[in-house]
Amino acid sequence: MNLRWTHVVMWLAFVALMFAIPEFVSKGTLRTLIFANFLAIFAISWDVLSGRTGYISFGHPFLIGIGAYTSAILTKRFDVPIEFAIPAAVVMTMIGGIIVFLPALRIKGSYFALVTLAFMELMYQLVQVIRPDLTGGTRGMSGVQTLTRGAVNGYYLSVSLMLAVALSMWLLMRTQLGTALSAVGMNEESVRGSGLSTTKLKLFAFLTSAFVAGLGGAFYVHYLGSIAPRALFDINFLFTIIVAALIGGASTIIGPVIGAFFLTFLLEYLRPYLPGAERYFIYGLIALLLYMYEPKGLIALIDKGWQRLRGAADRKETV
Amino acid sequence: MQIIIQGLLLSGLYALIAMGFTLIFSVGRVLNLAYGAYLLIGGYVYFTISQTLGVPKLIGLLLAAVVGCLVGLLKYRLLVKPLKGDHVAVEISTLILAVVLQAGVVFLYGDSSKILLPIVPGVTQVAGASVTYNLLTATIASWAILIGLYFFVRKTHVGRAMQAVSMDTKGAAISGVDPDKINMFTWGLSGALGATAGVFFASYTQLSPSMWVAPLIISVAVVIVGGIGSIIGTLIVAHIVGFMEVLAVSVIAPELRGVFTMLLIIGVLVIRPQGLFGREEL
Amino acid sequence: MTSSLKISNLVKKFGGLVATDNLSFVVKEGQSVGLIGPNGAGKTTVFAQIMGEHRQTSGSIELFGREISNDTTPERIRRGVSRTYQVPRPFSDMSVLENIRVGLMPNNLWQMIASKPRREKETELALSVGFLESDLEKTPGELSMGDLRKLEMARTIATGTKVMLLDEVFAGLTVAEIAQITQVIQKMRKDGMTFLIVSHDLKALEPLIDHVIAINHGSKIAEGGFNEVMNDADVRSSYLGVV
Repeated sequence: MNLRWTHVVMWLAFVALMFAIPEFVSKGTLRTLIFANFLAIFAISWDVLSGRTGYISFGHPFLIGIGAYTSAILTKRFDVPIEFAIPAAVVMTMIGGIIVFLPALRIKGSYFALVTLAFMELMYQLVQVIRPDLTGGTRGMSGVQTLTRGAVNGYYLSVSLMLAVALSMWLLMRTQLGTALSAVGMNEESVRGSGLSTTKLKLFAFLTSAFVAGLGGAFYVHYLGSIAPRALFDINFLFTIIVAALIGGASTIIGPVIGAFFLTFLLEYLRPYLPGAERYFIYGLIALLLYMYEPKGLIALIDKGWQRLRGAADRKETV
Repeated sequence: MQIIIQGLLLSGLYALIAMGFTLIFSVGRVLNLAYGAYLLIGGYVYFTISQTLGVPKLIGLLLAAVVGCLVGLLKYRLLVKPLKGDHVAVEISTLILAVVLQAGVVFLYGDSSKILLPIVPGVTQVAGASVTYNLLTATIASWAILIGLYFFVRKTHVGRAMQAVSMDTKGAAISGVDPDKINMFTWGLSGALGATAGVFFASYTQLSPSMWVAPLIISVAVVIVGGIGSIIGTLIVAHIVGFMEVLAVSVIAPELRGVFTMLLIIGVLVIRPQGLFGREEL
Repeated sequence: MTSSLKISNLVKKFGGLVATDNLSFVVKEGQSVGLIGPNGAGKTTVFAQIMGEHRQTSGSIELFGREISNDTTPERIRRGVSRTYQVPRPFSDMSVLENIRVGLMPNNLWQMIASKPRREKETELALSVGFLESDLEKTPGELSMGDLRKLEMARTIATGTKVMLLDEVFAGLTVAEIAQITQVIQKMRKDGMTFLIVSHDLKALEPLIDHVIAINHGSKIAEGGFNEVMNDADVRSSYLGVV
């Protein structure tokens, strides 16, 4: 797995920093950070699938939605204890992941992205009409059981979840399996030509991505206490997830985390000037310019700056 | 009967909406996910010019087309060309652009939706079904534009150059066609078509900042199901999609109007990725 | 000598076009066989069928006496046959060593996670096809055409292959690179590797092979020693364009 002590130190510093934050910031900022944590989880989930294997998913809210709705419905309508509802939601999302995986056996590139987009829209429309007594129809559900009270507890829960996801994905991606998944993204035929079953690799990526999405979605709904189809199966939400991963740096773990925090705070700092949806104008423009300027994301910019600082002497080493 | 009339009218509109998208996909080989934004821009430009400022409607429609064309040209120059055919990058950046444009509209016009007055007011009876002149005009205009486009592509020099680029960019370049110019032209044309369609679409439904998503999905469905770049295929599939929607609304439930379109996209892509009508070139 | 690869009555039709027409041949263990023919004769299509990238219309493909027609490409590779491509297909953002690593990986997700990369083995393979120590961390963008072909050979060898199919292995190379690859192939022949080699460069091909099969329009027109096949009337008329 080729761990170095510098990695251990960096992770410890990162964890310590994240856990120390509530001591220094206001409750309002903390709520923003909670959202950033969840966004980071979703962005990591997207990246495991799309950033690595190159199968661009435009339907990630589909997976997150399955996780969130399953857990919300189980706890609210069937009084299932939360500790069973969340694992059930994760399993359901992984089944959803298999559904998304099936088209990937036959199509790739733009067509795959479009199918996933269609999945998201389909889910959006179906949720509103099929069994509205369960899903709450167009209005969604409120009064879903929450796991924590107060911003501080909410923060600790979300940050622990985010760090656990980030660390385990980081460890996983540093194995040969991570290399193989990236290889699928670079040239799928050559991976087959190396004697590896790309079907197996892709299925693994889809299931892992769904696992993380389901976990994030379920915890998210039990943080918010409510769920609404328009907010969830929304292009703006999809856009934020993808952009977080890309702006931060696809195919890395820390990249989507940085991207998520960057975007969340950008959105938050724009609030005093632009209160409504028009914030997305500036926000989107910045995202677009950054993406056009450096498609490899902030992590590449930071890396370049760092290399320059150190005189670019040592070997490149990204987390 | 009502269903047939309504299906025909709606399908005509959908064909117009999908046409601009097909052109780009066929000639430029990229998915323009900001395509829906042309409709958004067209609708709002027309709203400002004709409904707020009171300029004659035809001029409003023309200006909407011109603005759509300009946006198309800018998009090609500033986004698509610098990204040099990196499909994923083009898709992602156009998706971001669509969100930016939507937010821009919210910024200028506010979040709430607006009613666009009918371009041609009045209602008539066609074979026992009541039809607004507005939708009728939209359908007739859409057919006129489609037929014009068909002959333009087949008969004119520029049209044939577009066909050539869509078949084989390098081959076209060797034969003295400048693919860059043709691409520019196609992006402009696609923008103008999209904006025009937007005016009709907005007068059929309503004007709102998120009105670009539904037409995008329809275009995607039509292009995927019809096979890329075929004008005839586009027309046929627009009718399939249109009729499915009308049937779903009147026979099953209004909420399900889009469900069959999604299922069609997914089904066709998974079972027959080359589309129902194969890959005819323009 | 037993047969490594045995093709019997292979037929491949694309619609009305017959790309492979009742083709049969045998490559024995440790042999090196050249597969030649004019452009469009169907050489690459034969490779694609052996690897399972195209399914043949009829006929059989046996590897070490076992029918492999129903196996997927990765399964065939695990059984000991693999190929290189006319246009090399490296993993663009990976170093030379990482490219080879993919070839060395076990086809088992759990083992991929649990086992460590075998850096010494990767290095050994890279050096064995003629890379220098200083090349090992380079990415494909920094490599020449000759290097890319060597990289593809190394990744192919890494899969543990016993039969290698080389497609136009000399195309686009400099004289020095041809010499180097020739040397690599000669060494591997000595070590017992079985080869089926497609090449237009007959001069470069001659020293590498035990005998030649010439095909045209998907069917065999001659087989035998290099000079014998070159003097065959059919070969001369169809392939060399001289009578």
